Amino acid sequence: MGKKAIKQIAIYGKGGIGKSTTTSNISAALVEAGYKVMQFGCDPKADSTNTLRGGEYIPSVLDLLRENARVDAHEAVFQGFKGVYCVEAGGPQPGVGCAGRGIITAVQLLKQQDVFEELDLDYVIYDVLGDVVCGGFAVPVREGIAEHVFTISSADFMAIYAANNLFRGIKTYSSKGGALLGGVIANSINSDFHRDIIDDFVEKTQTQVVEYIPRSLTVTQAELQGKTTIEAAPKSEQAAIYRRLARKIADHTESKVPSPLDAKELRAWSSSWADQLIEIERKTQRLAVGA
Amino acid sequence: MPINLKTAVVESREQRLGTIIGWDGKASDLSKESAYARGGCEAKCGQKARRICELQGPFTQGSVCSEQMVECQAGNVRDAVLIQHSPIGCGTGQVIYNSIFRNGLAIRGLPVQNLHLISTNLLEKDMVFGGIAKLEQSIRDAWKRHNPKAIFIATSCATGVIGDDVESVATQLEEELGIPVIPLHCEGFKSKHWSTGFDATQHGILRQIVRKNPEKKQDDLVNVINLWGSDVFTPMLAELGLRVNYVVDMATVEELAQMSEAAATVGFCYTLSSYLAAGLEQEFGVPEVKAPMPYGFAGTDAWLREIARVTNREGKAENYIAAEHERVKPRLEELRKLLKGKRGYVSTGSAYAHGLIGVLRELGVDVDGSLVFHHDPVYDSQDPREDSLAHLIDHYGDVEHFTVGNRQQYQFYALLQRVKPDFIIIRHNGLAPLAAKLGIPAIPLGDEHHAIGYQGMLNLGESILDVLAHKKYHQDIAAHVKLPYKKSWLKQKDPFVLARKTAAGSEK
Repeated sequence: MGKKAIKQIAIYGKGGIGKSTTTSNISAALVEAGYKVMQFGCDPKADSTNTLRGGEYIPSVLDLLRENARVDAHEAVFQGFKGVYCVEAGGPQPGVGCAGRGIITAVQLLKQQDVFEELDLDYVIYDVLGDVVCGGFAVPVREGIAEHVFTISSADFMAIYAANNLFRGIKTYSSKGGALLGGVIANSINSDFHRDIIDDFVEKTQTQVVEYIPRSLTVTQAELQGKTTIEAAPKSEQAAIYRRLARKIADHTESKVPSPLDAKELRAWSSSWADQLIEIERKTQRLAVGA
Repeated sequence: MPINLKTAVVESREQRLGTIIGWDGKASDLSKESAYARGGCEAKCGQKARRICELQGPFTQGSVCSEQMVECQAGNVRDAVLIQHSPIGCGTGQVIYNSIFRNGLAIRGLPVQNLHLISTNLLEKDMVFGGIAKLEQSIRDAWKRHNPKAIFIATSCATGVIGDDVESVATQLEEELGIPVIPLHCEGFKSKHWSTGFDATQHGILRQIVRKNPEKKQDDLVNVINLWGSDVFTPMLAELGLRVNYVVDMATVEELAQMSEAAATVGFCYTLSSYLAAGLEQEFGVPEVKAPMPYGFAGTDAWLREIARVTNREGKAENYIAAEHERVKPRLEELRKLLKGKRGYVSTGSAYAHGLIGVLRELGVDVDGSLVFHHDPVYDSQDPREDSLAHLIDHYGDVEHFTVGNRQQYQFYALLQRVKPDFIIIRHNGLAPLAAKLGIPAIPLGDEHHAIGYQGMLNLGESILDVLAHKKYHQDIAAHVKLPYKKSWLKQKDPFVLARKTAAGSEK
């Protein structure tokens, strides 16, 4: 074929951790840098790409499936900020059907109809809901789809558990041609101990932090306008951080198999950190009393 | 859009071709609504699939699953194993398919053996925890027990829903065992028509068995895509100095691999051969013979001439055609006299029915009605020379009551009442008892090659005479049985009345 290889990246993380925000900013930064990018939202809520399109929802691939006997997957591709391509897999309402099967179906439809090749893309970025609860949510990390997975996590233990779970999924598929782990995108990192917790976790699981992203009001303001930070506040420091992250992801070539912690190790690890956190808390209280 | 072999999952027939399973009207109207007649397609409707207005009934009384078509194709490769990655219920077809396979082998003079089918027997806990470990175990068991040249894996609705990663296990074990391990995605829910199962098997074979960049070419070898029928193609093609490579059923893995070395590919039914033949041409440069199917004089003449043209054997074909016309004509004349005024009804797969109706009309039998189990508005090659329905209409005239329906008993009664045939020709025999209860004998075409070519016209004519001899027996049955339907339904003239009510009463 002689066509360029499309770099496919999957970004996972616990719900509400800032996954879509971060992913949309990465996509925005990459199109701004001149690449052809598609962001593929894999969440039944179908809101991954909203901030790339002025806060607007787009019809999802599975909306097309619901309404048509035959699906033309091209009709699910929309353009947003600086021409970025936006696709939402979509899915059933909460409590019915099978969201995992929805992802399988949506990804298959686009692949069968050669949509990625036709658009001559440089990057496809899958923004995938959370915990890899079933086979469907693992589709983007399987053979022949994404090559690199990044996970977004804060220093919150629940987010780290979700990341660790994802590592287990990656390890399962790694021996069978699946995607490997590029690293952790550390989100909402506003203090040294946040950073320490994440650093310790990546060391224990033999991966790396790709970027530390502080919590920022700029992001919230941009989101409220239905925009990415890159679009709404292009000169802000936060936008610079997202651009740096995007560049690192663009330059990233070598991913690895992580070493997830087992349930016991994870418990021991988190309780050791809990002790330290209590200690930090006490110190701050003492300081406050002293002052 | 061309066939896409990059993904492991085959695109369904309705997606590729716009296949329908419910329609009722004149054959000529269906032909006009089909893609071939409408000519070039606008960008908006995609390159292939075109819509025909389809009747959708409120319920289905009987059908077949895509997975079963995988069983009766991939499961019939002699030195391969098919693993059904499914709950055990999907394996109920093994019994009947084993008998068909054994009969087929015996008819072809091949060593009779049992099917090599293994079910992973997925249980509740496998649905919860994933079935991949069982699949891996089954592949290893298959390897130890049968030492196969290839292992096919048929997926199921269950594995499709839980998202079992069949591909990665297959890739891993293919490397380890050194034989093709081929996932075939045939989840029943993926397509409304079972023929997608043919395509799923052929997709896997094209991707993982057919030899890429073959070192040699076999200029006298022709791939014949068929099922289990008797060997009528070897003597026919021998007249042109050609050898037959029968695929997919009862072939060996090597015979499948060598398809890329052949001079051409032919079929006798585009429903069956469409995907594989188009894929062989697109990916391996093996030309697909694009001609009417080999039924009746017109079809067989054109089919032979096109094979001869593609393989540079025109002279031989003309001699053979002339000799065969000469040979069959005397008996054909007699059969025409004997069958004059008889009415036949064809109830088979789609393209196959187009061929059989032609044969009946060659025999002078009246055909006012037919039930085909689905309709493809276009085949994968999109070449109008393959438009089997238009060929039928152009050469043998229209069919007044042409019905598309996936073998619904409750509709079949009214369908037969409309035309009151003297006999029916049937495949998928489940509808035959209903006809028998109406006093109509059936010719079950177990050997799908029975009516092919010049001899096929005589074969079918003799079979009709045989079956008409049972007329009295069937009339006796009719006199003594009661149909299971209410009087109101028996009076109903329109077999699709329920579908029309649905169309009017609910959403678009």
